[in-house]
Amino acid sequence: MEEAKLSRSAMIAIVLLRIVIGWHFLYEGIAKLTSPSWSAVGYMRASRGPFAALFKSIANNPQMLDNANLITMYGLTIVGVLLMLGLLTRLAAIGGIAFILLFYLCNPPFVGYFYTIPTEGTYLIVNKNLVELCALAVILLTRSGLVAGLDRIVHGLLAGRTRLAPLRV
Amino acid sequence: MATDHDDKGHPNADGASREPRKLDRRDVLKGLSTVPALGLFGYAWKKQREYQQAKAEEVAASTQAPADLQVINVALLGAGAQGQVLTDSMLRITGLRFRAVCDIWTEYNQKRVVNSLKRFKHEPNAYEDYREMLDKEKELDAVIIATPDFWHAQHTIDCLKAGKHVYCEKEMSTTLEGARSMVAAQRETNKLLQIGHQRRSNPRYLHCYNKILQEAKMLGRIVTVYGQWNRGVTPDLGAPERYVIPDARLKQYGFKDMHQFRNWRWYRGKGGGPIVDLGSHQIDIYGWFLGANPSGVMASGGNLYYDPKTHEWYDTVLAVFDYDTPLGPAKGYYSTQTTNGSQGYFENFMGDQGTLLISESEVNYAGQLYRDPNAPAWDEWVQKGYVSAPKEQETKAKSESTAIADVRESVAPDQHTVPVTLRDPYHQPHLQNFFDAVRGKAKLNCPADEAYQTAVAVLKVNEAIEARTRLAFKPEDFKPRMNTDQHG
Repeated sequence: MEEAKLSRSAMIAIVLLRIVIGWHFLYEGIAKLTSPSWSAVGYMRASRGPFAALFKSIANNPQMLDNANLITMYGLTIVGVLLMLGLLTRLAAIGGIAFILLFYLCNPPFVGYFYTIPTEGTYLIVNKNLVELCALAVILLTRSGLVAGLDRIVHGLLAGRTRLAPLRV
Repeated sequence: MATDHDDKGHPNADGASREPRKLDRRDVLKGLSTVPALGLFGYAWKKQREYQQAKAEEVAASTQAPADLQVINVALLGAGAQGQVLTDSMLRITGLRFRAVCDIWTEYNQKRVVNSLKRFKHEPNAYEDYREMLDKEKELDAVIIATPDFWHAQHTIDCLKAGKHVYCEKEMSTTLEGARSMVAAQRETNKLLQIGHQRRSNPRYLHCYNKILQEAKMLGRIVTVYGQWNRGVTPDLGAPERYVIPDARLKQYGFKDMHQFRNWRWYRGKGGGPIVDLGSHQIDIYGWFLGANPSGVMASGGNLYYDPKTHEWYDTVLAVFDYDTPLGPAKGYYSTQTTNGSQGYFENFMGDQGTLLISESEVNYAGQLYRDPNAPAWDEWVQKGYVSAPKEQETKAKSESTAIADVRESVAPDQHTVPVTLRDPYHQPHLQNFFDAVRGKAKLNCPADEAYQTAVAVLKVNEAIEARTRLAFKPEDFKPRMNTDQHG
């Protein structure tokens, strides 16, 4: 059976999706890096759900908290830049999914959980984190960096005169 | 996918090509096609930074002294959490110029505060040793001290003797000897010494004292006061390895290790525990509003929850003070616990004509008054704006309620509110009062000899817990003895 082919306009939309998600990650990272006192401690101390104990133990361990803060600040920034440039796109998408999964699991909007931290919307299981995570899954699977992004050049260079190895889907 | 090439031999949507082919101009263009998005981001971020910078400059400009206002050169000594709180307030006060920041935690606290000041166009010099700061910063007018309690006396005395005015955080000292020596140094140097009982400058507290208690006497005779500060369990403070202070420096400044440095409030000889950290603010108000110092204190306390090796002071305390007020005897109950935050913090003054429930918070207990049904009407004070009009009472019991009120149940008192709110950070008015006094335009709201009396009352609580009996105060206990015995 012939597989569905992505149209040119669909791929343009995916590239745009990748750029705006990258923008979001990049600014989240830079805003934290340039804030003199940003820390994930409050978010992690408010954690609930099946992984609450883990997040709270990180929040209460200065060394682990410091590592978590550094990884978050620099990680978001790097993922953001890579997504925007379309460089190592699949790796960046996996990194982005991992970050968002952690954010989601730290404070999941599950049935019966009541948060006092104000949010900009109302959610039941699905929140904007989860939506962004799914969008990153699309980016991961469609390899848009090979269409519009530095991956196209990198792959070309790595393959020498042969631009790309055949892609089997 | 159906195919990997478009009709011109370039990769299609999935980006793959089956035939080996040169990296051509079109590939490079497509490869670089999203780079401008990063440029756009950079432009937007630059604009955002410029906007934030402009706002910071606006704030800095709004606090620049007009031509007729003396600029005060300030140093911050102790740049921890409290130092940051005071700095945030001072950044909103007109006519201050930060010249120096001193903190032994050069790896973290010092950098953080210096950087935040630089964002507001101040250019402070950073010091680890306050003596070096006093030697070099000859232009300083005032020093704001927010170091651990056991350093307060020496820091204050040395700053006063260097000719600086001093704002020092409460508690004055961990010992009465230390507090006395601070009063002595203030008198000797004739410089200003304000102690950080910031409620003394809070407009709501001032309104309650001046209008409600002194002028209108709305509570009648206050017979009992109850206050509390409850906090939930909090983990010890720590520090990541990259910010740890070397042992030699910690010991040089009186700390046995990093844990003690970060959690000094729990250690004997460094701080006074929750009754001093928290209770001091409120017991200060007891004495102020009652117009009397206590004549005795009983107290019970213990370390019921935390590890006594790292929490040497009591996590739970209840104290009962006796007062002989100008209107008659009164009891002051005070409770603090650090294992549950139930109902937070407040002071409740109960007179024979009314009740005043007040706290520093603008969110909880921000000034409520209850008139006893038998007390004279408060209409005059409502008309003068001293209190709000009473809240209208419900005329009928809720129909769904099946509760039957006992005939002996008291009639609910009228409920009023104190119509004064503070829109600034809580410490700002007290700091403003200090700087106004430096300019000769105000009297200090909490000078050293006034705060000394609070220190006497508060430090006695820990003694009373250990003594397991009522300890009496003599009136002369509240007058700092000078000269021969000032150093104990």
